[in-house]
Amino acid sequence: MSDKTILICDDDEGILDMLELVLEETGYRIVPVKNSLHIYDEIEKQNPDLILLDLWMPVLSGDQVLRTLRKNPDTRALPVIVISASREGERIANEAGANSFLAKPFDLEMLVNRVNEMIAA
Amino acid sequence: MDSLNQGEFSFSNDTIKQDLSLLIQALDSSISGIILTDNQQPDNPIIYCNKSFERMTGYARHEIIGHNCRFLQKEDRNQKERLLLRKAVEDGAECVVEIRNYQKNGTLFWNELYMSPIKNEQGVVCYFIGVQNDITRRKKAEMELLHQQEIMESQIRQRTKSLKESEDYLSSIVQTVRESLVVLDPAFKVLSINDHFLKTFKVSKEETEGKLLYELGNGQWDIPKLKELLENILPTNNPVEEFEVEHDFPHIGKKLMLLNAHRIELEGQYKDRILIAIEDITDRREIERRKDDFLSIASHELKTPLTTIKGYVQIMQRLMPDSADDKFKDILRKTGIYVERLNSLIAELLDMSRIQTGNIELHKEEFDFDKAIHEAVENIQAATKTHRIIISGKATNNYAGDESHIVQVINNLLSNAVKYAPESNEVKVYLSRVSNFLKVAVTDAGMGIKIEDQKRIFDRFFRVGEIQQRFPGMGIGLYVCDQIIKNHGGTLWVESEPGKGSTFSFTLPLEERNTNER
Repeated sequence: MSDKTILICDDDEGILDMLELVLEETGYRIVPVKNSLHIYDEIEKQNPDLILLDLWMPVLSGDQVLRTLRKNPDTRALPVIVISASREGERIANEAGANSFLAKPFDLEMLVNRVNEMIAA
Repeated sequence: MDSLNQGEFSFSNDTIKQDLSLLIQALDSSISGIILTDNQQPDNPIIYCNKSFERMTGYARHEIIGHNCRFLQKEDRNQKERLLLRKAVEDGAECVVEIRNYQKNGTLFWNELYMSPIKNEQGVVCYFIGVQNDITRRKKAEMELLHQQEIMESQIRQRTKSLKESEDYLSSIVQTVRESLVVLDPAFKVLSINDHFLKTFKVSKEETEGKLLYELGNGQWDIPKLKELLENILPTNNPVEEFEVEHDFPHIGKKLMLLNAHRIELEGQYKDRILIAIEDITDRREIERRKDDFLSIASHELKTPLTTIKGYVQIMQRLMPDSADDKFKDILRKTGIYVERLNSLIAELLDMSRIQTGNIELHKEEFDFDKAIHEAVENIQAATKTHRIIISGKATNNYAGDESHIVQVINNLLSNAVKYAPESNEVKVYLSRVSNFLKVAVTDAGMGIKIEDQKRIFDRFFRVGEIQQRFPGMGIGLYVCDQIIKNHGGTLWVESEPGKGSTFSFTLPLEERNTNER
């Protein structure tokens, strides 16, 4: 139904599995990335249309990833939805240049709507 | 009395008898006791006494004549005045003594005795004349005065002692206190410090007392914020409490201090001295920070699996065939509700801890207030099938505050309005501007709140009795809301009537745009 690719980067396997299940149902191609250190390689290889990005991850945190993406001309405009259970998540996400933020635990319907909006835009 | 001529008696044959009688009458009417003793006879006996002497001593004339004067001293024979008298008798000299004598009935009287010799033409002492005055009263007054003086002196000693004791007592309190105390004179010279100060700042009394505060330890107390307190704030705002000063000391490291400063205003020797109490809150703040960190991490870690659970529950609900058992549908619906409850408990726990330690950080930024409220209402409406939320009015499109906190308040008020009004189907939100405040009112047609509960619903962990059974939760939602609104300089209150519904309103001050900090 769609040839769009969504990259999901989260260090929690449960969330990756669950999101994969939900978003594959909607027809998108899903690229799960558990180790954030591999995200840049995966972005290059898979050329995603949207990224769902966690914040608190070991070694390389989501906001660091996001800042790097925003500095790179190739990924500057890549839509990123930050998903985080951190209390300060929304502020950190906005400061790092996220297009959107969803607090964990999120409502699936809301997430899917947000993803659809972003991809359509 | 023509026979008295220039202090000398001149006797004539005609008048001698008459004159003698007059003379004796004169002697008898004297208030001084007068005696004559005969020095030519053994033991110097008394040969004459006047009436006053009898009155004074209580002895009758026949008990007096022939005795030596010493009988008046009864057993009290060790008075040093006796030696003076004896010597005067031996030398044939005059003398005056004050001596204790005793009346016949034993009563003590003080006798001021004037004794003088009467000599014959050859210069031999033949008689002594003794003039005595009862000076008991004067003596008594003197003694009383002396006694009073002694009492006074002993009182002064007592007072001085108790003053010293109370000083020692106070100083032992000051030394025992687990807070650093400094006394400065008006020129900021250190007058005294307590032991805890020495311990905390690792200094000695000698290198501190008598020195200027700013010059202590190579100027390590020359702290701009402390200067500001002492020189600018204290003179106009005495006393100052809970003044926070952070400073990196060369040897002991960074200290976070809470200061109370008090300038003595009492007239007197201590006027204008400055007392400073320093509480070292470095460790406490660090512990608070660690606790907050721990709770942040804990809540993050708890929410992560919760996200997955919530997702799967929602997927299950979606995948559930219409043919599924009603019981099964109900169980899944309830699972969703309890996952949501767990989520809000985790959030409340974090909020609670932050508010308790006063660490709620406000990220003040300008935002479109009305839009944020509308969005919040839409989100709640999306999840609420039972009630219609009607929003009306306008407040402002530009407010400087912490948007996420304000949204938290409106979410809380709306979900309460929905939760506690299960019988009704409408919630009203009204936005307005009142003077330089914006106002938001959330009205439900629910069960209402009893007047005695209206104040307490903003307390921590307070839950209205019957609510506890029907709507479980930790009961900190409104407390958190109240704190958030207070942190923004506004007020949150409720007006309610049991059975008719409640209106929760809050106001927030609208700052002048040019004072906004971006």
